[in-house]
Amino acid sequence: MIYFLYDGSFDGLLTAIYEAFYSPIPPTQIVTHDNFIPNLFSEERHITTDLEKSEKVYKAIKEKISSTALKNIYHAYLSELTQIEIWIYQYLKLGFKLGVRIDNRVSDEIVMKIHHAERKVSFENHRLKGLLRFQLLKNQVYYAPIEPDHNILSLLAPHFARRMADQNWLIHDLKRGLAAVYSLESSNTQKWSLFSLDKSLQIQFAEDEELFQDLWKTFFKTVSIEERTNLKLQKQHMPVRYWKYMVEKN
Amino acid sequence: MDLKQKLDILADAAKYDVSCSSSGSTRSNRGGVGNAAVSGICHSWSDDGRCVSLLKILFTNYCIYDCVYCINRASNDVQRATFTPEEVAKLTISFYRRNYIEGLFLSSAIIKNPDYTMEKLLQTVHLLRNVHNFNGYIHLKAIPGADPRLIYRTGLLVDRMSVNIELPSSEGLKKLAPQKDKQSILKPMGFIRTHIQGNQEERKMFRQAPTFVPAGQSTQLIVGATPEPDFQVLRLTESLYNNFSLKRVYYSAYVPVNTSSLLPVVAQPPLLREHRLYQADWLLRFYGFSANELLNERHPNFDLDFDPKEDWALRNLYHFPVEINKADYEMLLRVPGLGIKSALKIISARRETALDFDDLKKIGVILKRAIYFITCKGKYYGGLVFNEEFMRQRLGQSNRQLKWQQLPLFD
Repeated sequence: MIYFLYDGSFDGLLTAIYEAFYSPIPPTQIVTHDNFIPNLFSEERHITTDLEKSEKVYKAIKEKISSTALKNIYHAYLSELTQIEIWIYQYLKLGFKLGVRIDNRVSDEIVMKIHHAERKVSFENHRLKGLLRFQLLKNQVYYAPIEPDHNILSLLAPHFARRMADQNWLIHDLKRGLAAVYSLESSNTQKWSLFSLDKSLQIQFAEDEELFQDLWKTFFKTVSIEERTNLKLQKQHMPVRYWKYMVEKN
Repeated sequence: MDLKQKLDILADAAKYDVSCSSSGSTRSNRGGVGNAAVSGICHSWSDDGRCVSLLKILFTNYCIYDCVYCINRASNDVQRATFTPEEVAKLTISFYRRNYIEGLFLSSAIIKNPDYTMEKLLQTVHLLRNVHNFNGYIHLKAIPGADPRLIYRTGLLVDRMSVNIELPSSEGLKKLAPQKDKQSILKPMGFIRTHIQGNQEERKMFRQAPTFVPAGQSTQLIVGATPEPDFQVLRLTESLYNNFSLKRVYYSAYVPVNTSSLLPVVAQPPLLREHRLYQADWLLRFYGFSANELLNERHPNFDLDFDPKEDWALRNLYHFPVEINKADYEMLLRVPGLGIKSALKIISARRETALDFDDLKKIGVILKRAIYFITCKGKYYGGLVFNEEFMRQRLGQSNRQLKWQQLPLFD
């Protein structure tokens, strides 16, 4: 059993896939260094991320399969589901054979796995576009803590960069110790970037912050029609695991 | 009165308006705050399970009208309040920047006269759009009876406009809202439709032409306050879609807020009836059905145990069973248990290989419903007999509704 170990980056994964296509014995699993648990039969191969190789795979997917397939595997990668890497490899193997038609094979197990992971990521991304809450801090930065199931920070950031374009903001993924930071002072055309940020960050609210949180809670309570109360439906749309950082639910 | 108290009163007064959607507009951010997402985004769900995407408030609840069903009627003894345009703008933008909301839904009771009210609403959206550079979603009520020029100028600033019909028949209006009539409601609706269509033509020629109500207009019907059957409600809906090009018709199960001898006494709002009407509404808009197919004079109300599509299929069994690998898209859409997504998936998947029941399950077809109406590669798994009575019984069993009904002992 050959385990390909990569550094956890998307480029690392693409490099591993490049190596997999050219190695005489294909990998049994592709895992990150952190998630690897050696066993009696495991044989490790360390993959060093190589931007030239990953670029080649990236371009090949786009040209020989489709941009949809590229989006699918990127989202599947972000899903962080166990063993998703090897499914991505299988999907690409099939994709290079079938070309653009691969996504029609909806009853194929490999394609199903990838579509399933892609859907989960897209869905959570859409969901958090709504459920995420900013708090205005003393230094006039809007701060939003999140703990998503999947690593969707890189998908959320462009949405908020377009929408909240005239305010400084920071979205903090507390589960992964990552942050997307948008700064008005940034001289780049893309004003947001990803950083690692410690989980134990001390924050201090701006003066008006509590007032507006209170107003929002008032509105939220008032807008519900008592005769129609349906808490089950509420939870179905808005699972309890997201409530932690939602002003109106605390 | 402080802002919190006003918000409390004016959100409470607005909550019976069910429209919440924030979709259909592609307004982009031009150097200010906010944009519209074409798919719409829900930001929260209140305790009644309804989504909260817009800050839904009345500008004021002082009203000169005395509609019997309405909580803000002039003769009701309730606390009254009025926002200033600045207060509405401040609330909207502060909430928006914290990502609480997708935009503003501003409605109003009629204060002084329709023109004055409409002017106040126009002033508020002008402040938001042109002074504060707010590009988020705005849904505004057009006030029936207001000067068309005011409605036009407002339409250039907002994403969606709506005029509520509320009661689905002229008799109902006469009885419960004597100061309103059908004409005064349909007039602004027709006016908005004409300008939306004109604007669409204009924008084909000049891409930079300003948009007029780009997310279209909608309306609301109260279900259960007056005795109209579903058939009448659905026919009205259909003509609104066809003649007024509405984007949405909302249904609101009647919740008693006032007591009057003219109003029906209900223990529970008719939520399941409301649900069936929404299902039928979807069938009209996306599934190619017409109101006359779903209901008729002899069959004027929806069966509460079966959804409208099942009900239609059971009464029209001669269309079935349908072969999944051959049927065209329009027919697939008419099979109970199949939706738009699964029908499209079937179409693309069967280009690769002929499908069987297992594949359908993987695609996401609800087989426990569809199985009675389809064949795969010529095989039928619905049961030994193919008749309406048998299917009604089997389908009825799987529909949860029957669970809490007492079964008759002797028939």
